[in-house]
Amino acid sequence: MTRTLVLGMGNPILSDDRVGLLVAERVRAVAPPHVDVEQSEVAGLRLLELLRGYDKVVILDALKSPAGAGRSPGDIVRYEASEFRGGHRYGSAHSIGLATALELGRRLGYHMPAEVVVLAVEAEDVETFGEELSPAVAAAAERLVAMVLEEVGGA
Amino acid sequence: MKKVSVDPITRLEGHGKIEIFVDDDNKVQNVYFQIPELRGFERFCVGRPVEELARITPRICGVCPEAHHMAATKAIDAVFGVEAPPAARKLRELLYNTFYVTDHATHFYILAGPDFIMGPEADPAVRNILGVIHKVGLETAGALIKARAEAAELISMIGGKQIHPVCGLPGGVSKAITPEERDRMVEITAGLVEFAKFTLKLFDDVVLANDAYVDLIKSDAFTHQTYYMGMVDENNRVNFYDGTIRVVGPDGAELVKFEGRDYLQHLAEHVEPYSYLVYPYLKAVGWKGFVDGKDSGVYRASPLSRLNAADGMATPAAQEEYERFFSTLGGKPVHATLATHWARLVELLYAAERAHELATDPEIVDPNVRTIPEGIVGEGVGVVEAPRGTLYHHYKTDDKGITTAVNLIVGTTNNNAAISMSLKKAAEGVLTGGPEISEGTLNMIEMAFRAYDPCFGCATHTLPGDMPLEVTVRRRSTGEVVTSARRNM
Repeated sequence: MTRTLVLGMGNPILSDDRVGLLVAERVRAVAPPHVDVEQSEVAGLRLLELLRGYDKVVILDALKSPAGAGRSPGDIVRYEASEFRGGHRYGSAHSIGLATALELGRRLGYHMPAEVVVLAVEAEDVETFGEELSPAVAAAAERLVAMVLEEVGGA
Repeated sequence: MKKVSVDPITRLEGHGKIEIFVDDDNKVQNVYFQIPELRGFERFCVGRPVEELARITPRICGVCPEAHHMAATKAIDAVFGVEAPPAARKLRELLYNTFYVTDHATHFYILAGPDFIMGPEADPAVRNILGVIHKVGLETAGALIKARAEAAELISMIGGKQIHPVCGLPGGVSKAITPEERDRMVEITAGLVEFAKFTLKLFDDVVLANDAYVDLIKSDAFTHQTYYMGMVDENNRVNFYDGTIRVVGPDGAELVKFEGRDYLQHLAEHVEPYSYLVYPYLKAVGWKGFVDGKDSGVYRASPLSRLNAADGMATPAAQEEYERFFSTLGGKPVHATLATHWARLVELLYAAERAHELATDPEIVDPNVRTIPEGIVGEGVGVVEAPRGTLYHHYKTDDKGITTAVNLIVGTTNNNAAISMSLKKAAEGVLTGGPEISEGTLNMIEMAFRAYDPCFGCATHTLPGDMPLEVTVRRRSTGEVVTSARRNM
């Protein structure tokens, strides 16, 4: 049986940044039995520790694309780990990149997931303290639950 | 004037941007850094029961939630005018020192280590943790992962959770520990002491044994003569959890020693139009600008500052290391910013030893861990030494304990002026003519920055994950790009 983890990431009190945590919570209620659901507000080496032992991982997060990227709040973007090199949450002061975390785990002889998918929601505001999602992101959260279930084979 | 932008700073929490202005002769005119502003924190807190702040403030950022939890819990004790029983104080301090081990160790291996172990001018493709383990051996990474896992186990035994502890309550902690848990903590902390010694040995072998690195650490480009702040116990020894705040001058003499609750009598804030982040300074000395020396109120609060501000360490092996630190670097105080990395490891050893001392203290299993508050003062200040500097939490409430005002001075903010000065001096030291700005040169400027382990608790995301470092040199007269460089981490 494929061991699958759905991992919601973000900050629960920074407006749209909480969307990954929120969607993970909703997925937890309806996920098939072979799927574990976790939430994490930190990344870095912690990511290595969380991902260890799984075959497939789906990470849920918010993202803020650079101006000119042509994205609007609520857009959902899908990435695979192989496309990653660093990134804010995956490559900061106390972090190592997602790709680095996976590689480090493999070198240490741990079973690391062969497949890591990131589903990220383009945020409107991740700089104001608050517990409300902006309307476009709230609507995306609904769609994202279905996408996650499809991704893990539980739709 | 040309403008050199380093944007964003790799391996910095959040999204920062260093701006370097140079004239036509590539002489550095000014340097500052910008970070995004997080808005509405006070508004978010006001109106909530004050005891919730111990769970809210750790979420400002994911880097040092334990420090915010402890400062908040102490501030809330003060709001309710209540003191925690001895076992509760010890459990808080045990948790906190164990957190310090993980935080300081992670900084060394992930953030600072690559610069020293691979070399400041090494290809960024190998200047990372993978390069480090390739060079010093896989068992080093294994030791780090094991220490982190065991520290997390201890933290969750006391704190209830691995990442965001929830144990701190007004007047104590939520639960006592069992003798069985204590036995496991003794075992874990003994392992952490060994891990700290192993890390210092690695620093010895890789950094101190290399004359070029020692010269770099001592070099003028990375030196500033400032005041130093740190919390000390009744014998003027470093303490992270509790004590009084001591400030020493560039000559090492004590300027002032004060209680955390009196911080507003001693600290003031300078404001610059280009940054929303304030520049705290010492009121008794005054703001004289971004300058060194005894007449400038600029101070630093960091591992190096804490060692300078104290008379020693309260545990034996850390005390030995403390003495070796100052004798190697030419006596107290040490002004070399890059020596902060060594100071951090002296503190790593102290934190591990102190955690072990507390775990073996018979009183740690005392079931009396809570004094129930019976009244309310309505205002309180809680101070701890966060890994990145002295952390002040100041709350006011109404007579029902509902929050009416919040003020925080966080570790990194203390160092805001000093970081700007360090960046400028490092840039002056390494940008020595010619339009070509190499990768290694940029990294040397960033090293001045990384020594402070700055953390701005920002959650701005940049995907798909490239963290480009962009440098643009423009001719002031025309705005034309003379040269530009870009790299990914």
